[in-house]
Amino acid sequence: MFKSLRWRLQVWHAIVLLTVLTSFGGIVHSLHWQTRLQQVDAELDRTAGLVMSQLRRLLPRPPGGRPGGSRRPRRADETNSETTFEADTGARPDANIAAVTPRSDSTRNESSPENSPLSPPEQAVPPGPPRRDRFDPGPLPEEFKQLFHGDEESRLYFVIWGGNGVQLEQSDSAPEITYPNLHIGREGFPIRVVRSRPGEKTYREVIHAGMFDLNILVGRSLENDLAAHHRSGLLLGGAGLVILAAGVLGGGWLSSRAILPIAEMTVTAESISALDLSKRINVKETDSELGKLATVLNQTFDRLQSAFERQSQFTADASHELRTPLSVISTHTELALSRPRSNEDYRAAIETCRRASQRMRSLIDSLLLLARFDSGAPSFKQDRFDLKPLLADCAELVEPLATERHIQIECQPDSCFVRGDWDRLSQVVTNLLTNAIRYNVQGGHVRVTTRMDGETAILSVTDTGVGIAADQLTRIFDRFYQVDKARSRAEGSSGLGLSICKTIVEAHGGTIVATSEVGVGTTLEVRLPLATESVPAMGTKSNEIDKELLLK
Amino acid sequence: MRVLVVEDEPDVIRAVAMYLREEGYSVDTADNGEDGLFKGVSWDYDAILLDVMLPRRDGWSVLSELRRQNKTTPVLMLTARDTVKDRVRGLDTGADDYLIKPFELSELAARLRALIRRSAGKSQPVIEIGNVTIDMTSRTVSVDGAAVALTAKEYCLLEFLAIHRGELVTRTKIYDHLFDEYDASLSNLVDVYVSNIRRKVGRELITTRRGMGYIIDS
Repeated sequence: MFKSLRWRLQVWHAIVLLTVLTSFGGIVHSLHWQTRLQQVDAELDRTAGLVMSQLRRLLPRPPGGRPGGSRRPRRADETNSETTFEADTGARPDANIAAVTPRSDSTRNESSPENSPLSPPEQAVPPGPPRRDRFDPGPLPEEFKQLFHGDEESRLYFVIWGGNGVQLEQSDSAPEITYPNLHIGREGFPIRVVRSRPGEKTYREVIHAGMFDLNILVGRSLENDLAAHHRSGLLLGGAGLVILAAGVLGGGWLSSRAILPIAEMTVTAESISALDLSKRINVKETDSELGKLATVLNQTFDRLQSAFERQSQFTADASHELRTPLSVISTHTELALSRPRSNEDYRAAIETCRRASQRMRSLIDSLLLLARFDSGAPSFKQDRFDLKPLLADCAELVEPLATERHIQIECQPDSCFVRGDWDRLSQVVTNLLTNAIRYNVQGGHVRVTTRMDGETAILSVTDTGVGIAADQLTRIFDRFYQVDKARSRAEGSSGLGLSICKTIVEAHGGTIVATSEVGVGTTLEVRLPLATESVPAMGTKSNEIDKELLLK
Repeated sequence: MRVLVVEDEPDVIRAVAMYLREEGYSVDTADNGEDGLFKGVSWDYDAILLDVMLPRRDGWSVLSELRRQNKTTPVLMLTARDTVKDRVRGLDTGADDYLIKPFELSELAARLRALIRRSAGKSQPVIEIGNVTIDMTSRTVSVDGAAVALTAKEYCLLEFLAIHRGELVTRTKIYDHLFDEYDASLSNLVDVYVSNIRRKVGRELITTRRGMGYIIDS
């Protein structure tokens, strides 16, 4: 069952569908996360902007004498800003900072002073506000504070460092985790980080470095987003499973629909046996692949059926033909034995039986010959010989019959060399001559000729008999076909003669055709390929004949 | 009893006709379908033996034409084809029995007897009239248990009258059924046979209706 086409289709379909759904779902899921992060970032940026504008208000004169927080002016003062930047990146853990910011993490410790040899922090530190104890943001507006007092999961927080790495301010909502010392950031480019530790919450933070020589970090917990993202992931997975199930079921339905005609064909083909060949596969769509297959199969069955019918007709005819002489023997022996008879009666009975047995013998010979042809061409001799003496032989053979019926045989043969079996071709000619005499009128003529036509030898036998009607003419080479059953029966003919002639002639690579005109006569024409002179004659018989001819 | 044999094989027809004549039947023959049909329609045979494969008109066609012309003559089909399909077709067309070639003449005769008996409405093979017993199987007649030797023709006449007992059998009918186309029908031949039968089995059995025919009272 699992090796069936349908199952394989099903499994492959499921695999492909699963792959497509998984990759598509993965891409959608990750894009979704990106979008969510972007939203979070936008919110953080907005908040950072608020924080900055607040700072600008608090520090009307930016530290270091810079006019404002906008990036443009700083870019004008490129060298200075570079220096500052370098100083910022090389945050140095002096004792003071360590004291004020106990949350300094290992990153800060790892960053060695040698990282920024150009810029000792003292140079970079602006004279004004960088120390925490001197930084007073003043009263923050209520709505600003509100921003940092949301619920636990979505609450924003901020942290501000000075340019020298000293933490100046942080919101109450800032989580109790280690913040990085400022060690980054090309100025003006916000740095975005996702931080998480095992067992802790995950945060998204944005760091704006170098604003007023301050570094501002705004962050938010991502727990809500993660949860939402997980939910949407689950939803996506669920939907994927539903689609997969629907796809597999639909695929199964489709494949079973597609396979259904095959199953029907199998059932029909199984039911078509030697006993009942009449059934056919029901062809609904002749243009589809299966329809074509069904049509081809039906044609095969047609041929099979007609072959079987021909065969069974042949068998029936053969058995009928055999039963008739058998009936003769059976009835005559029974009759003879039913009571005491005279010697003449016994003699007559035995004579009748002898005739019947002769008839059976010739019938069986014919049947065997045809059976040999049917099971593959029997090996013929391939002698080269002239048709002329063959014709003379045959004419001589049928002479007594012709004399008995007062029929004259005209024999006008030309020399025609053909290649084949002398005995078989004699059989053909004798058969044709016998027919021409038997089905002739009293005192009629039979004319037999041979002539050459290009590469072909033509042998024709013409009689002056009653002729054969056109519809019967096509069937005279069929086995057991008899034009005039009564006459054939009276002549002791079985109806196999002409089909044997045709079989033999065709085995010699020739053809046999009949033409007839009712009331005038019938002509049978045998065409055989001429034997080329170059090939030496091989058969002994033909050699003898050649010699005889030469002697003549 | 007069039967028609339609068969195209001359040797077979010869043997069958001879055997049946020796059995006391009158036998007409035809060697093709047209002849067979003509004879079958023109005469009131007791049975027809009909071959299937016939020249000019095959056995099926002869049979259906006979039945179409309301001839109820029992028909025994002879054929070399022994498929069930052929047999069914024969019986459906109106054949009364079937015999497959090659056949035994004794079987043919037995089937013919049964066919004629059945068609006369007497399916029993033994007829008893008073002290006379006619055994149609062995074709013997006995009076009070003692066998009586009858010639074939005498037996046939007695059997014919016995089968039709209770009805008047005219001399013409006797001629039609007991003598075939080759018999010289001498007008007093029947009288001779009847008197022979009376001598052998008893005077009381057959009653003469003067000017009309004979009857065996049931």
